[in-house]
Amino acid sequence: MALLEIKNLTLFIDAGDETVKALEKVNLTLNEGEIRALVGESGSGKTLIVRAILGAIPDNWSIKADRITYQGKSLLDMSGEQRRQIMRREIAVVFQEPASALDPSVKIKEQIKESIPDEFITKAWPWKQNKQREELTVNLLHRVGIKNHKRYMECYPHEIPTDISQKIMIAMALASEPKILIADDSTRGMESATKTQILRLLLKFNETKKLAILFVSHDLLAITSMAHSMTVLYCGQTVESGKVKSLLKRPLHPYTKALLDSAPSFQVSLPPKSKLVTLEGTIPTLQHLPTGCRLGPRCPNARKECVMVPVPRNIQDHLYSCHFPLHLPKNTKHKVYKEVKL
Amino acid sequence: MIRLCIRYLNLIVLTILALIGLSFLLPFLFPGDLLTNISGITPDSNQQREALERAFKLDKSLFSQFIHYLENLFAGNWGVSNRTQLDLFDEIALTFPATIELVVYASVVSVTIGIPLGFISGLKHHNPFDFSVVTFSIVAYSFPVFWLALIFITVFSLQLEWLPTSGRIDLLFEVPSVTGFILVDIWLSDIPNKGYAFKDALQHLILPTISVAIVTTALFVRFVRRSIMDVMEKEYIIAAKSRGFTQRQIFFKHGLKNAIIPILPILALQVSTLITNVMIVETIFSWPGIGKWLIEAIYQRDYPAIRMGMLIVSLFVMILTISTEFLTRAIDPARERGVNATL
Repeated sequence: MALLEIKNLTLFIDAGDETVKALEKVNLTLNEGEIRALVGESGSGKTLIVRAILGAIPDNWSIKADRITYQGKSLLDMSGEQRRQIMRREIAVVFQEPASALDPSVKIKEQIKESIPDEFITKAWPWKQNKQREELTVNLLHRVGIKNHKRYMECYPHEIPTDISQKIMIAMALASEPKILIADDSTRGMESATKTQILRLLLKFNETKKLAILFVSHDLLAITSMAHSMTVLYCGQTVESGKVKSLLKRPLHPYTKALLDSAPSFQVSLPPKSKLVTLEGTIPTLQHLPTGCRLGPRCPNARKECVMVPVPRNIQDHLYSCHFPLHLPKNTKHKVYKEVKL
Repeated sequence: MIRLCIRYLNLIVLTILALIGLSFLLPFLFPGDLLTNISGITPDSNQQREALERAFKLDKSLFSQFIHYLENLFAGNWGVSNRTQLDLFDEIALTFPATIELVVYASVVSVTIGIPLGFISGLKHHNPFDFSVVTFSIVAYSFPVFWLALIFITVFSLQLEWLPTSGRIDLLFEVPSVTGFILVDIWLSDIPNKGYAFKDALQHLILPTISVAIVTTALFVRFVRRSIMDVMEKEYIIAAKSRGFTQRQIFFKHGLKNAIIPILPILALQVSTLITNVMIVETIFSWPGIGKWLIEAIYQRDYPAIRMGMLIVSLFVMILTISTEFLTRAIDPARERGVNATL
């Protein structure tokens, strides 16, 4: 059974005079011990999905979904308290910018201590409990690769460098020993050495603790090196998802292909000074979303059917939503593929 | 920390010197006889005039006059009032505590009502309670203080006859002044019927306090509400929610401090508005404070009194502002360390 499953998530943003569908029928599954990458340009709604999973949505947003389940339990139907318990113990998040995700007025030590669940404290007396918390904190810092913990424990967030703060964020996320870690573009804007460290850390916990990771990013190189499967998002619609290998080898959706083509790292035979392939135009803004397949106006093989939202189809765990997919094996009409029941 | 203290101390000392210098120059700018403006005494004869000029070193250079002024100031020898011929130090020592008393009670009321109200309506904003709080604060903020005080007197004193119209305490009670704070003085004194005196003083306090506090409370509500609304949308609050902390934990550990720190200096600045309002209210309620005293001095062109009263009030406001600034710096870890002390 999937650990986390999202089916047909639609997110509405009430922008005063009109309501915008910021996410439209997004599907996402995360299996136990899996690293799933969520790929998309800025503005494609990656962070919105994360916020929807967290349940931290502002008043002017609303969510409609067939289901958002955690281990079969619906996150949408449960009470606030039950959901809080799940967030406390099972799901952890590492945010985009560690500097703003740490409380500026509280010392690092206190923040980590706070994120250790009470259940982990076995001692009875308050002063012993405090000492145990402190030990656990030091332990956590060591686990994420901060060796001189004394240097940072007494600091405030603004006094420490970004990579250390990100490691501290990971430490805080791991404090409750969660089953799922959502890394919301955690390596954005980091230099490559730091990035590698953070990614290695995530990979290590995935391998040793069977931690399932939802890796939200647009860094294709990092994704291909560590993720097992990926979901490609364009403008609030899931366009394609499946195993990383099969997606790389044979992207079915034109957007996935364009995305891969635009990254020179994947083009082995790219001659020097040749033009990089990109799609025409830019990602539309939320106020001017095209109807039907949102890639429509930019798609090289768009036809008049594309004004309808394509039904997601499935070939061997490779899910795509496109009327005219690329790379279909010869002799097959795409009628043959069974429609996914949603 | 020590450097911070020194910097702020430096700021205080320099500002005090500047204020004293300004107050020293005031009598030269006032119209009328310079000697009368400085001494408060109108000389009867030329002999007396010469003696006074010698006493105030008016025959010497401006610098030695200033030194003489400083010496007198620190010795508590502040000269006499033009209209009463009483010692200014004694008069201010009598009236200033009455003002501070009103300021303190009004601030306590504003803080205990305004800040929690702001938090409550900011945390659960855009519901009927929040709307009514916002409406109240706009209405309350728009009231002119003097009008409100008069309406209070009309309604509660004259129509309903619940509360007294003026003064600090009924004339029947004779409370010796020790600290200048009426409630403390009653508690310290050994007059008969202490309980009644206390109740009477409290009744006298209610109307002036409320009419001053209502504007400040409205301001506090608005600042706090805005601030907590901003803070609750910050990423670290969402991060705290994502960690599954309880609402209570999020608010008390992460929301409260971060919401208060940025507005603390603004709240402290309101104290000077508060003092201005207190002075107005004092005049209306015949509260024997420095505001009423100063306004009378202004009416009578009592220049020595105006000079000293202004110096004392401005010193009070200045020291209060700088110390809250200092406090904010001391408790706010993220504040830029390189910035110089500012007023």
